[in-house]
Amino acid sequence: MPDSAVSAGSALAAAGILGLLAVLAAVLDGFLTARAAGGGPSGLSRPVGEVARLMRQRRRTTVAADTLLWRIGSAGLLVMALMIVTVVPLGEWTLFDLDVGVIWFNAMDVLAWAFVWLTGWGANSTHSLVGGYRFLAHGLAYELPLMFGLVAPAVAASSLNVGTVADAQQDLWFVVWMPVAFLAYGTGILAIAVWGPFTPALGTDIAGGVTAELSGVDRLVFQGGRYALLAAGAAFAVPMFLGGGAGPLLPGWAWALVKTGALLAVFVWLRRRLPAVRPDLFMEVGWVVLLPAVLVQDLLVAVVAVWRT
Amino acid sequence: MITHISFWVFAVVAVLSGAAVFWVNSMARASYALALSFIAVGLQVLLLHQNYIGVVTILMMVMEMAVMAVYMVMFMGMNPALMPMNMVHDKRHALAAAVGAFLLLAAGAVLIPWPARRGTPPAGVTVALGEELMGPKMLVMAVVGAVIAATIVAGVVLAAHRTRYDRLGDDLRRRPANDPQPGGVGR
Amino acid sequence: MGLTHSLARYAVRHTHVMVVEVPGHWLTRAAVERHILDRGWRLAPSPGDADVLAVCGTPRAQLAAVVTRLWDQMPGPRARVGIAAPHLVEAALSGAEDELLDVARQQADSRSRPDAPQSPDHDMGAAMNHGAEDGMSHSDHDAHAGHGGMTDEHGGMDHGGMQHAGHGGMDHAGHGGMNHGGMDMAPAGIPLARSGEDRDGLEMDVLHLRLGPALPYWPAGLVLRCSLQGDVIVDAEASLIDPAEHRSGYDAGQADALHQAARRCDNAAYLLALAGWEDGASRARRIRDSLLLDADLAGMTEDLDRLRRAVKRSWVLRWSLRRLRPLTDDDLTRQGLPSHLRGDTRDRLLSMLARAAADLAGSAVRVDRPRLVPLGSIADLVCGLDLGAARLVVASLDLEPFTATTEVVHA
Repeated sequence: MPDSAVSAGSALAAAGILGLLAVLAAVLDGFLTARAAGGGPSGLSRPVGEVARLMRQRRRTTVAADTLLWRIGSAGLLVMALMIVTVVPLGEWTLFDLDVGVIWFNAMDVLAWAFVWLTGWGANSTHSLVGGYRFLAHGLAYELPLMFGLVAPAVAASSLNVGTVADAQQDLWFVVWMPVAFLAYGTGILAIAVWGPFTPALGTDIAGGVTAELSGVDRLVFQGGRYALLAAGAAFAVPMFLGGGAGPLLPGWAWALVKTGALLAVFVWLRRRLPAVRPDLFMEVGWVVLLPAVLVQDLLVAVVAVWRT
Repeated sequence: MITHISFWVFAVVAVLSGAAVFWVNSMARASYALALSFIAVGLQVLLLHQNYIGVVTILMMVMEMAVMAVYMVMFMGMNPALMPMNMVHDKRHALAAAVGAFLLLAAGAVLIPWPARRGTPPAGVTVALGEELMGPKMLVMAVVGAVIAATIVAGVVLAAHRTRYDRLGDDLRRRPANDPQPGGVGR
Repeated sequence: MGLTHSLARYAVRHTHVMVVEVPGHWLTRAAVERHILDRGWRLAPSPGDADVLAVCGTPRAQLAAVVTRLWDQMPGPRARVGIAAPHLVEAALSGAEDELLDVARQQADSRSRPDAPQSPDHDMGAAMNHGAEDGMSHSDHDAHAGHGGMTDEHGGMDHGGMQHAGHGGMDHAGHGGMNHGGMDMAPAGIPLARSGEDRDGLEMDVLHLRLGPALPYWPAGLVLRCSLQGDVIVDAEASLIDPAEHRSGYDAGQADALHQAARRCDNAAYLLALAGWEDGASRARRIRDSLLLDADLAGMTEDLDRLRRAVKRSWVLRWSLRRLRPLTDDDLTRQGLPSHLRGDTRDRLLSMLARAAADLAGSAVRVDRPRLVPLGSIADLVCGLDLGAARLVVASLDLEPFTATTEVVHA
C-alpha cells in the first residue's frame, strides 16, 4: 500500500513538472508572438489569460457532430503527453521503468494519428476534416523516420530501456554521432505536437483546421495538449540523445530539466521562424530523403555497435 | 491482487468494446472500438510480463485502426458520418458463428488441463518466446518480411495508372516531371 | 463573485476577435488589426475561437446574412461591433470589452440561445445545407432523394465551418417547403454528395464548398464556389458578394502612393501568413501599419528591403512556393492578367514587395487605369489545386480591393 501511495505522489509530481514545462513553453511563445507583433503588452501573461478566457467560454456543438469521438480526440493529446513522461527518467527516478520504454514512446506517439484525426472528424465540418487529413498526410511522412530515428540510440545502447540508453552516453552524447536520427526525432516531435512547420492541419487557410470548431474547455485541452506534447517530446529526447542527466556540478535531475527546457525553447522559437511545410510536398521529402537518410544512420550505428563488441 | 483485478477489468473492456464494433452505427466508432479492444488486450499482455509483445500490440493496433478508419471513410461508398449504418451483414448466421467460435475457444481455454509450471521463466522472456516460435526459421522470417514489403511496393508501382513516360516524356528527358501533384523533392 | 470577476477581467485582456471586412473598408480592417495586436488581443481564424465579431463597414443584404450566421456560431460570451472608419476603432473595441465584462448581459444572451445547433428542418439549417450546393439551380435539389444511395463520406459536411456563412439569405425562401427526401437519405437534413470522376479517372465524391466571404486572409467580398474531390478543387466559380450594391466605402479617395504601398504590404502579409511564416507576416503587417500612420519613410524603405531579402533567403519558403501555379507571358495574355503576376507564386510574392518599394520610392509607373485581375481568371487559376495551394495562389494575385471599378473590368 505505501508503495502505491508513493507512486501516486510521484505520478502527480511528474504531471506537475510536465504542466509547468508546458506553461513555460506557452509563456515563451506568448512573449515571442507579442514581440513580433510589436507594441502592446509583453505577452508573458498570455497562457494564464487564455486559460481564463477558455474556461469562461461556452462549449459549442455543430450539427450532426460525433460528440463522443470529438471530445475524446481533443482531450487525447494531453493523455498522450502524460503517458510519454512516465518512462522518462528524471535523475535517478523513473515513474514506470519499463524495459521496453522506447517502444512505449512509439506506441504513444502513434496515438496522435487517432486523436488529431478524430478531433477533425468529430466536428463534422469540412474545414476541420481537411485539417485532420492534412495531419495524416504529414503522419505518413514523419512517422517512419521518427521510429527509425529512435532505433539508432536503442541499437547503440543495446537496450530498449530508456534509463540504459541514457547511461550508455557517458562518453559521448548520441546527438553528436547520430545527428540525422536526432533531426528525424525532432521533426517527429514538432509534427505530433502539430507545431511550427507542421501546423497546416491547424492552418488559418482552412479557418483553423482541426481546431476550427473547438471552443471553451475543448479548445483548452487540445491546445494545452499540444504544449504538453512538445514538452514531453523534449523531455524524452534528453535520455535518448542528450546524455540524460550527465553534466558537471549539478545533480542529474537538474541537468535533465535544464536540457529539456533548452530543447523546448528551441522548439517554441522554431515555430515563428519556419514557414509551414505543405503536406503534399513533405510527403516526398519524408519518403525519398528523410527515411533513407535515417536508415543509413541506423546502418552506421549498427556497424559501430557490432564492431565495438 | 491488483494485478488480478486489472486483468479482469481489461478482459471485460476488451470483450465489450469488441462487441461494440457491431453495435455502433458509424465506421469511425467501429474502428476505434476495435482499437480500444486491442489496447485492453495489449495491457493484459503487459500484465503477463510480456512487455515487448504487449506494447507492440498497442503500437501496431492503434496505428492499424487509425489507417483503417481513414481508408474505410475514404473508400466505402456510404456516408459513414451522417448515415447511421449497420455494421453487421447476415445478422443471424454471423451471430451464431461468432458466439459459437467464442464458446469453443473459451471452452478450450478453460477445460484444457494446462501443465503446471516447472522451473522459472528465463531472463529474456521475449527472446525465449521468439526462439520457441521461430527457432531456426528466424532468418527465413526476416527475409520474408523484406520480400513482403518489396511485393507491396512493386504491386503499387505496377498498378499505378501513370508511368514514367507520362511523367518524363517519351525520351524520359522532361525536367521537372509533369505531375498532377508535384512532389517536394523536385524530381 | 470576486474571483469570477477577476477571471473575467483577465480573460478579456486576451480576447480573440474575428474581423469581417466589407468590400471597400480595408483601411478600417487594417486599423482594427493594429489595435487588436496593440491591446495584446488576437485575431480569431473562425467563429468558434472568437469572442468579438468586428465588422468593418456596413454589410449589405448577403454579407449581413453571413455576419448573422457567424454571430450564431460564436460560443459566447460574445460581443459584436460595427466599425465605419479607422478613427472609431478604439472606442468600438473598448465597447466590446465592456460588453464582454457585462455578466448580466452575457447571461441573458446565453439564455436566449438554443442549446443545440438548429436542426435543418428549421429555418436556418435549411439554408445551410442547401447552400452547400446552391451553385446549381434550385431544381437540382429535388433530385436529392433520388441519389441518396450513391453517397460519399463527406456528404454535406460543410455545414460546420464558415463556408456556409456564405449562403446568406438568398436561398432561404426558395427552400421553405422543400422535401428532404426522408431523414435517412439526408441525415440531420444534410443532403449526401454525389460522385464524379477524379483526375485519375476513379469515382470520387464531389463536395461543394464555398470559400469566402468571411475567411481569414481572404480578399474581402470575393466568394469562390468550389467543387472538391478530397481537398482538390476540381471546379470553381468566382463571384462578388452583394455585386449590385453601390460601394462607397471609407477607402474611396484614399489612393495615394503610400496607400498603394500599404496595400501591397497587406497582401504580402496575407500571403506570408497563409504560407505559415508568422515572423514574416508580422513584419509585413508592421510595415503596412507604419505606412498608414505616415511614419518615417526612409526607415520604412529600409525595413521593406530587409523583408524582401529575408523572403529571398528563406529556403523553406522557396521550396513551398516555387513551381506553384507558374504563369508565362502567354498565360497572362490569355487570361488578361497584369504583367506583374509573371512567374510562380514565389516570384509573385517578390514582385509584390518590389512594387511596394517602387510605390514608396515614387518610381512606380503610373497607369491611369491599372489592369485588374478579372474575376473569372481567379477561378481558372485555382482549379486542380488543393485547398492550401489554392489559398496561396489567390493571395499571390496581389488583388486590389474589390470596388466599383472591378465590375467594369468584369463586365
